Amino acid sequence: MSVAAASRPSALMFGLSPDRLFVVLSRIVALTALIVVLSILSPHFLTWNNLINVLRHAVPLFIMSAGLTLVVLTAGIDLSVGAVLGLAACLAASLIAGGHPSLGIAAALGAGLACGLVNGLLVSYARIPSFIATYGMLWIANGMAYVFMQGEVIYGLPAGFRSIGTGMFGPIPVPILIMLGTLLILHVIMHRTPFGVGVYAIGGNPVAARLSGMPVRRRLVIVYALSGFMASFAGLIVIARTNAADVSLGEEQLLPAIAAVCLGGTSLFGGVGGVAGTAVGALILALVLNGMNLLGVKTFWQAGVLGLIILLSVLADQVVGGRINRTST
Amino acid sequence: MSAAGAHTQIVDRSRLAVWLGSAPGAVYLLAVLSIGLTILTPNFFSIANLTNVTLQIAVLVIVALGMTLVILTEGIDLSLGPVLGLCGVVMGMMVVTDWPLWMALGAAVLIGAAFGVVNGTLVSYVDMPPFIVTLGTFGIAQSLATMLTEGNSVTGLPEYVRWFNDGAPLGIPVPLWATAAVFALTYVLLYHTKFGRYTFAIGGNRRALVLSGSNARFYQVLVYVYAGVLAALASFIMTARLNAAHPTIGVGLEFDAIAAVILGGTSFEKGRGGIIGTLIGALAVGVLRNGLNLMGVSTEWQVAIVGLIIIGAVSLDSIRGHYS
Amino acid sequence: MKITRRSFATGAVALGSAAATGTLSAPAFAQGKKPTVAFFVKNVTNPFWKACRIGAEKAAKELNIDLEVVAPTKPDNIEEQTRLVEDWIVKKPDAFVFVPVDYKALVPSIQKANKAGIPIINYNNKMTDIDKVTFIGSDDELFEYEMCKYLFKSLGGKGKIVHIDGVPAAITAQMRKKGFERAVQETPGIEVLASQPGQYRRLPAQQVFENLMQRFPDIDAVVSANDDMAVGVVEALHAAGRGGKTKVVGIDGIPDAIQAIADGKMFATVDFSGHDQSYLAVQAAVRTLKGEKVPPEILLPVFIIDKDNVAKVARTPEERGVPSWDKTIKS
Repeated sequence: MSVAAASRPSALMFGLSPDRLFVVLSRIVALTALIVVLSILSPHFLTWNNLINVLRHAVPLFIMSAGLTLVVLTAGIDLSVGAVLGLAACLAASLIAGGHPSLGIAAALGAGLACGLVNGLLVSYARIPSFIATYGMLWIANGMAYVFMQGEVIYGLPAGFRSIGTGMFGPIPVPILIMLGTLLILHVIMHRTPFGVGVYAIGGNPVAARLSGMPVRRRLVIVYALSGFMASFAGLIVIARTNAADVSLGEEQLLPAIAAVCLGGTSLFGGVGGVAGTAVGALILALVLNGMNLLGVKTFWQAGVLGLIILLSVLADQVVGGRINRTST
Repeated sequence: MSAAGAHTQIVDRSRLAVWLGSAPGAVYLLAVLSIGLTILTPNFFSIANLTNVTLQIAVLVIVALGMTLVILTEGIDLSLGPVLGLCGVVMGMMVVTDWPLWMALGAAVLIGAAFGVVNGTLVSYVDMPPFIVTLGTFGIAQSLATMLTEGNSVTGLPEYVRWFNDGAPLGIPVPLWATAAVFALTYVLLYHTKFGRYTFAIGGNRRALVLSGSNARFYQVLVYVYAGVLAALASFIMTARLNAAHPTIGVGLEFDAIAAVILGGTSFEKGRGGIIGTLIGALAVGVLRNGLNLMGVSTEWQVAIVGLIIIGAVSLDSIRGHYS
Repeated sequence: MKITRRSFATGAVALGSAAATGTLSAPAFAQGKKPTVAFFVKNVTNPFWKACRIGAEKAAKELNIDLEVVAPTKPDNIEEQTRLVEDWIVKKPDAFVFVPVDYKALVPSIQKANKAGIPIINYNNKMTDIDKVTFIGSDDELFEYEMCKYLFKSLGGKGKIVHIDGVPAAITAQMRKKGFERAVQETPGIEVLASQPGQYRRLPAQQVFENLMQRFPDIDAVVSANDDMAVGVVEALHAAGRGGKTKVVGIDGIPDAIQAIADGKMFATVDFSGHDQSYLAVQAAVRTLKGEKVPPEILLPVFIIDKDNVAKVARTPEERGVPSWDKTIKS
């Protein structure tokens, strides 16, 4: 690169710096490649039914991961999202099945909000490392779900509620509309409001954030509260689809959620990434899991595949992104 | 603890005095639990029960020791649980097909070390976040372990394996000897070798070390390797205890180990802490679980209580300024 | 459409000595103290174990003893159940009514209980290499075999089948799969399209099956290793509008499955009564303590539930009647 080029700030395309551009392009390439490969390997992949299926799976995953994304943007982590999802699902299911739909929804969302608030207070004001605080919350949320459910499984939710998971709005399934709506709202919040921009700053440049006079602590609390809220919202969608709730619902959701966030290019160091990326990450993940099932891959490979995906995506971002940054300065 | 306190840790004098003065939450937790349980349940303070508890935490202590070193370098290792499972399964399968014990153990140690090399290299030389790296290897180790046995346990182990749990030279059970040996080894490594000094230093100021051209990166890899090796050793104790190896046996163990380390006063930042705290943290966790069982607390409530206690203990530390 | 009944396990004579070796602790009754029985389950998340708990509690109430329910906080966790056994040995209850999370890995700790002189009544998942007073359970292999034969007969001996397995490591899943394979072997017209594990849980099974539905547009029947998964499969079928064309069978007899059969959405299930097993297990424990002789193995009969007899079946474990000890032993 010439000296003149080197002295300019990193070249921008579509308003993105080169390393972010790599992230975006690589995901698009990965998504396309995945679709092409799966279509070749399995004749059932590219059917309307199957693709709708994939999207249905992706929606609750995305919603939960979206909340998690916000936390990760602040260089934190929320390990309790799965447990909160489970707790919310159980609360909602039992109240809704018992004939109180609005109460059920309110209870679920309220519980998620409450758990998130506690997480936020612990991390922000008590300055407890987010790992430990949310780990403790994981146990508490699980415990509350156990106590509440007493080993029961709740079945049989009313059709009106279930349409959230299974209904169609014209040709488009309702969950997908929910996903798009959530994505839009979050994207606007994160990129067009002082709150959102502040969150990026908290993760990317904490010292500057504090010095700028923004209410860092309060914003952190809100971020964790949002994460809990999104997790409980995802729980509602899950039970609408499966028409049942039991305490183990949220157990296996944590690893895929983190994978979706990483795949989406949000860095665990904070300050970089976003909800749009997570949406793509959730999609790719849902495709991979769907493909594995279609091809008859044994389920115990799932953990390894998720692990590999996490490693490779972050590795690629790190190495390539690092190289791009080095050559352009 | 002030900077002076941190410095005192690297020098071996007066460490104990400084540490006692600002004892981590685990110490108080352990004290409260022990006294409370002795009063509330007739069974707690008996030789049978206390022996049980110490044996029950043997595996946890060994893994937590490795984890302490990792956390001291401001890292984390989530893969230790599944790595333990994988090592156990490989060892079990070898021993069942009549490979000599030392080779089976050697294979397990190699696997633990290999994962450590991968984890350490990605963290140290590629600068990836330890949480992500070890989350990735967590999944990979889990799948490998399950694949090897198709989800089944490895059973039919030769008789001599049981000795490693039931045997008691000089009246002390083998697992306790093993734990003591590992503790002693880790102690020496951490407080009396260059490796140990680097471990503390990396946590405190890694950037300076790297920029100064020292071997910091290499030693950081070694830390993860050590954790992996300890996980392999722990898997052997676990296999002996159950007389079987199971791929998912380590699930959740890494989180328990992290909890033990944090409760014991080692913090995620600034490279403060030590293994004595970890030992007490592990004891606290073990006593808590044992106590809840002895008191007949229902399972559902046990889960919530464990979470409350973790948060409570850490909040206490926070109030005393441990995290500022 | 008939209710089939089968007689109990063989080999009772050979195992007769095992009953006598169950150590007795008659002193609990002699002193007039209420005996305590530790009742172990695998987890507190699967409703199957709740049904077991209810059956056990009914027996406890009837026989006037103290029942303590013991379960690991992490569901099906081997290390935790080992610790629970060790902690409970210290508490010295009068008996253990025990189901192992892993039938091999829990052997050393139960052997410790043997050494401590605590009588063990093993139920649901059979353990070997330990001293037990008796094993009470069901023959999983036989159950699945009978269920499949019944299903295959209704299909006229031919069709395309999907098999949803349980937790592959669990002995019940392994035995049920054997029963399934035996039935398939005997019925040449049956084609097995796929066999995938659903982990004995509804959501994973539902997701697995949704994907399988994409691969196979024509499925005549689904054999599910338990009801929880079967109900998930039924949901998936109905959501896809394929409900009428595929017959689904499970095992267990949980309330939701019974409802599904009554609604015509599910074809049949086998009553794998955890409720009955637990009731009888606690009965066995108390009788042993009183000095009574107890058969070394008690296996419950195959009882298929389909739409013809579903109306007569109790929906929930609470409503269910308890089996008669004497009648069960005799048959």
